[in-house]
Amino acid sequence: MTSVEMVTPLAEIVDEINDAGGDAFKYCFQCGKCDVVCPWNRVRPFSIRKIVWQAALGLPEIELDEIWRCTTCGMCPAACPRGVEQIEVGVAIRRIAAAYDVYPASVAGLSAAGSSLAGDGNPLNEKREDRTAWAKDLSIKQFTEGMEILFFVGCYYSYDPRLQKAAVATANILNKAGVDFGILGNQESCCGESIRKTGNEEVFKTLAKENIKAFIDNGVKRVLVASPHCYHTFKNEYSEFMVNFEVVHISQFLQELIEHGRLELSAEFKKKVTFHDPCYLGRHNGIYDQPRDVLKRLEGLELLEMPDTREKSLCCGGGGGRIWAETPKEERFSDLRVAQAVQVGADVLATSCPYCISNFEESALSLEGENKLEIKDITEVLFEALSGNGGAE
Amino acid sequence: MTNRNGTFGDVMVVGGGMSGIQAALDLASSGYKVYLVEKDPTIGGKMAQLDKTFPTNDCSMCIESPKFIECDRHPNIEIMTYTEVDSVEGEAGDFDVTLIKKPRYVDEDICTGCTTCVEYCPIKIPDPFNQNLSDNKATHIYFSQAVPLVPYIDEECIKLKDGKCTICEGVCKNKAIDFSQKAEKQVVKVGAIVLSPGYGAFDPGRRGDYGYGTIPNVVTSLDFERLLCATGPHEGEILRPSDHKHPHKIAWIHCVGSRQILEGGHSYCSSVCCSYVQKQVILSKDHDADTEAWVFHNDIRSFGKDFERFYKRAENLPGVKFVRSYVEIGREIPETNNVTIRYSTNGEGVKEEEFDLVVLGIGLAPPANVERISAQFGIELNEHGFCKTNSVNPIETTRPGVFVSGAFQGPMDIPESVMSASGANALAGALLKARRGKLDTERIYPEERDVTEEEVKIGVFTCHCGANIGRVVNIPEVTEYAGGLENVAHAEEGLFICSTDAAEQIATTIREKGLNRVVVAACTPRTHEPLFRDTLREGGINQYFFDMANIREHCSWVHSKQKEEATAKAKDIIRMSVARSIGLEPLQEFELPVNKAALVVGGGVAGMNAALGLANQGFEVHLVEKQEVLGGMARRIQTTLEGLDAHAYVEDLIRQVYQHQLIRVYHSATITDASGYVGSFVTAVESEGRTTEIKHGATILATGAEEHRPTEYLYGEDERVLTQLELEERLARDDGTIAAARRLVMIQCVGCREEGRDYCARVCCSQAIKNALKLKALKPEMDIYVLYRDMRTYGFKEDKYFEAAENGVRFVRWEPERTNGRPTVEPGTDEEGKPILQVSVFDHVLGQQLVLDADLLALSAAVVPSPGNPEIARLFKVPVNPDGFFQEAHVKLRPVDFAADGVFMCGANHYPKHLSEAVSQAYGAAGRAVTLLSHDTVTASGSVCEVNEAACIACGACIDACTYDAIQWKGKGVNKKAAVNPALCKGDGLCCSNCPTDAIILRHFTNEEVYNQIDAALSESWSSTREEAGA
Repeated sequence: MTSVEMVTPLAEIVDEINDAGGDAFKYCFQCGKCDVVCPWNRVRPFSIRKIVWQAALGLPEIELDEIWRCTTCGMCPAACPRGVEQIEVGVAIRRIAAAYDVYPASVAGLSAAGSSLAGDGNPLNEKREDRTAWAKDLSIKQFTEGMEILFFVGCYYSYDPRLQKAAVATANILNKAGVDFGILGNQESCCGESIRKTGNEEVFKTLAKENIKAFIDNGVKRVLVASPHCYHTFKNEYSEFMVNFEVVHISQFLQELIEHGRLELSAEFKKKVTFHDPCYLGRHNGIYDQPRDVLKRLEGLELLEMPDTREKSLCCGGGGGRIWAETPKEERFSDLRVAQAVQVGADVLATSCPYCISNFEESALSLEGENKLEIKDITEVLFEALSGNGGAE
Repeated sequence: MTNRNGTFGDVMVVGGGMSGIQAALDLASSGYKVYLVEKDPTIGGKMAQLDKTFPTNDCSMCIESPKFIECDRHPNIEIMTYTEVDSVEGEAGDFDVTLIKKPRYVDEDICTGCTTCVEYCPIKIPDPFNQNLSDNKATHIYFSQAVPLVPYIDEECIKLKDGKCTICEGVCKNKAIDFSQKAEKQVVKVGAIVLSPGYGAFDPGRRGDYGYGTIPNVVTSLDFERLLCATGPHEGEILRPSDHKHPHKIAWIHCVGSRQILEGGHSYCSSVCCSYVQKQVILSKDHDADTEAWVFHNDIRSFGKDFERFYKRAENLPGVKFVRSYVEIGREIPETNNVTIRYSTNGEGVKEEEFDLVVLGIGLAPPANVERISAQFGIELNEHGFCKTNSVNPIETTRPGVFVSGAFQGPMDIPESVMSASGANALAGALLKARRGKLDTERIYPEERDVTEEEVKIGVFTCHCGANIGRVVNIPEVTEYAGGLENVAHAEEGLFICSTDAAEQIATTIREKGLNRVVVAACTPRTHEPLFRDTLREGGINQYFFDMANIREHCSWVHSKQKEEATAKAKDIIRMSVARSIGLEPLQEFELPVNKAALVVGGGVAGMNAALGLANQGFEVHLVEKQEVLGGMARRIQTTLEGLDAHAYVEDLIRQVYQHQLIRVYHSATITDASGYVGSFVTAVESEGRTTEIKHGATILATGAEEHRPTEYLYGEDERVLTQLELEERLARDDGTIAAARRLVMIQCVGCREEGRDYCARVCCSQAIKNALKLKALKPEMDIYVLYRDMRTYGFKEDKYFEAAENGVRFVRWEPERTNGRPTVEPGTDEEGKPILQVSVFDHVLGQQLVLDADLLALSAAVVPSPGNPEIARLFKVPVNPDGFFQEAHVKLRPVDFAADGVFMCGANHYPKHLSEAVSQAYGAAGRAVTLLSHDTVTASGSVCEVNEAACIACGACIDACTYDAIQWKGKGVNKKAAVNPALCKGDGLCCSNCPTDAIILRHFTNEEVYNQIDAALSESWSSTREEAGA
């Protein structure tokens, strides 16, 4: 008989995980459904069930890569028959690991992101004062009390050259619709959603407080966000600080503008487009129809659906802090997703999340010839159409 | 009284499924006028849709449909189909029920069921009976054995839609089609109501679970029942929906819609799916031995009688795999329409497997429009939408006079539905005891024709049994052959000879053609002989002029691949039957008097309730208990899982028993002798120094069971090791050991589900959870581990499993099949040096050996049969099963009856069960006993033995052979002869084969009759037909 390792449950670790908000592990009856729906198991074996069960017994392996894999995509909690909050359990374990400052090599980037966030309010090691660089050619106002809406741009849209284009597109559409909006400029800090998922509660709290202070100081009542991650944390997590302001995602806002007749969409976009539901827009917040409704307004646009769509949308791999982790090429969910888009015959893979766009852009690089695929934010699709560039190439 | 116009009765049974049918039959046989109301066009319910039933794989329709006809012919039952309840007013003893009879557009009184209208109807609609897997006509009979056997016209009919078509009206010779029918209101007055609306099947289409509704080769288990069934969409060929090809690799997915707190699902366990999936696996393998079957599950719940063996049987078939994982559909493969399933493993990641067909094990839901039922009947529902019932007696609803039987109580299998139906009879009977017999109507048969002077005229009726026989045996050819046999005056074939119209047709033919013998070539006399004998009486000839040729079990089922040879064999079987029938004699059945008292053996919860169930209906009861006090095992139970104070309950029950004028209790009693027969038993009871001879008409055995004394895990060696019952007692006694304990481990399945005791003791998982919850309530910080194999918290008990997890009880699974898979226990010390028990178990998820420190170890020890059972079995001449529990007459439909007439069982001597289940079965036994006790006489078979005294040499061989003590000596000296007591004789013929002088004969199986049959088998035509068939 091969020797089997002996372990004894550790009650104090169980308590620690409980205190860190992971007590829902107790519901697990080990049916394996979470592993079955987990996108990791399409690229390599990974057992979230095991992580949950280790938590239940106080035996988490905090030094291993495994605890950092979960992208918090929300597939398993949605499918779990027992209501195990796998994300919370995973984050609770990460909190313990973060407290010990143990990060395996693959997630060394988390540490860097954390420092950058603590120092400059963004995870990209960029300077705070450069946060408005994307808007230098546009006439965008600083938000002041009484304006209709605050456009909370977000870190990736502000700094990442690829995503800055989407921010520009958004601003242009808002202007076209005559929306009275402003931005916070350098007062905007990262929303903190992703760093929180890495167990760094401290940095999250600092960032949240900074943003809340900025909102209050500037008299913000309604916030427009482009990133589903900002949306999620503002809507569902900032309430922990007992503040209350209205959050609206760009896909919702666009639909609102169209419905109220403020945005004329008699433009055409003669391409086959498939929409990818970002985890934090769809599964976490139930927004599925609005982005599709907006796209369908465009004349000539053929909307296609990929195999894993809506509630079962395939994660891009960027959530839960994974956007800062090293993922080997063969383990990237975004490669599978891009292949799905190609398979259904799409010209454009549209979405509405900065992480998704970053990951898809990288995965799409290896596509050639007929399989070429454009990755676009829905605002880019719209703006292209509105600018009269929506004809087929 | 206005019973003639049909608006006044005793009891209304609402729902004509198996439970409602049983309730109606028991009530009607106990002297009550019953209205049986069914919303569908026929009675039968879900059971009629099933192919076979677990764990015996009996053909479902074959065992149910004789009950349809029994209902139909019962003079005290009025069946009202296609009828819904509108409102219920009044109170217990005096209800006004308003019914709405939906228009079927066919006049039931005129229609002959000829189905010409069906043939000509141009509109095809999906057939609801076949789960919409095949089409039927807009006018059609619900299924071939429907009662009433009358078509109904579906709303899809184009005449109803836009008035265009009138074809059916034109072709109906009897002018039975009536489109002017409107919904009709009718008020019926009854004293009690039995609600048996059954269950609804979980609809996976609503959430699109597992691609159901979009992927064609994903079907539900109910769909699959129809695919399996010979009367199904493909006549019993398993063909998958996408291309009508045979699937060779089939997956079953468990818990679809069950055991989940997800939106749109049910948190409870549906109780029956594990076993029905195993049944479907076995049947699929029967259909095609090469079928590969994968079963995906999370706990196999084989908690019922003989379920564990059934599970093992399925699991051990070649090509069958049970995989422990909930799953997801991977994808549908466009080229083949095959479906992949993704499942999890421990340590090997997620795997994907391709299947030809996927079957969803759908759970049980409350009946459709349950809110309306609740409002109409004024009854409350529980949190799951099923009927809210008395926590002790699940047959009682929240409204007095309204009782509930069957799956509306909560998920349950067929025998439990039947038990509760019989139980409803006992409860309604107590309410209406003053009315018993007042509306009773005797069945009137035509006068029996004297045929002694007639030449033999045999009618042979051959049955297709849908496709069961017809697909293998060439029925037209066989029928023609039968028609040419000597003495055969009439030969006719039918699709289902057991259907009401076919049976009526036989009666008519007997009269019109002057038949004096009838042979039905169909299935087995075990299920259908009573029906056909009754038909002969209807036809005006003695019922013993009937013989059944079994060309299904003995022919088409066993030779399904050899059609020609099977046809030849069917001819042989019929020829033999015809030959035998020539010699048949008319026999008279006789009436035995019924003593109105009952004996109940065992004074536990089951016995006391059975006694009360009878006494409350006005019958005298002798309750015999071997202990000094009443209460039995329940005395050791403090509370139930549902929180009932068991002590208070038992005390109250004992008080009721002692206070009842009609119950006499015998304490410290031993039964020294039992004799007699149905209606006239005599039992000698020794109690407190006195022997009493009790005369009684019925006997109920409620002798209970015991907790097994473990021999493993240091039990008996270390005082920290307890059984669950001991833990429960310790909890109640509060002797400080509990308070001192910080860590407790429980081990499940101790002494059961293993070689030698291969059954699941049913109650232990719930027992463990009950104790764990109690401990957690007392000491929330206590560490509790339950080491289990499969958690079997069936039904609503699943919620308690969830609750235990919520309270921090941890469940670790072990597998005995794994090397060193069993937990081990040894004394040790913890980190602080305190003495503890060290429990070690391999954890499958971790892949590591988990070592747990325990201050106390609780063993979930098996429930074992009472050691007194063999003696009781000997005394009352009843059988025990291989596990030592009593064996019922029929696992499905006679769950409280013994094969021996007049003897019934209830409680844990039948099988381990929870308190409320024992109560339900106790009332069931009382309900069944009353169907006997409410009559003054009982009819005994005419097929009994008789001694030709001239030939008897008084050797006694027959007396030794008889297991029923039915033969005694009579006379002295040369006049000493064997004599048969016909009341005791079961007609098994053992004596006949032992008699050296052929002096003892069995009527209906005389030598002449049997020799005729054998001669016919060996006659010339036998070999010639065999040669023709090329054998």
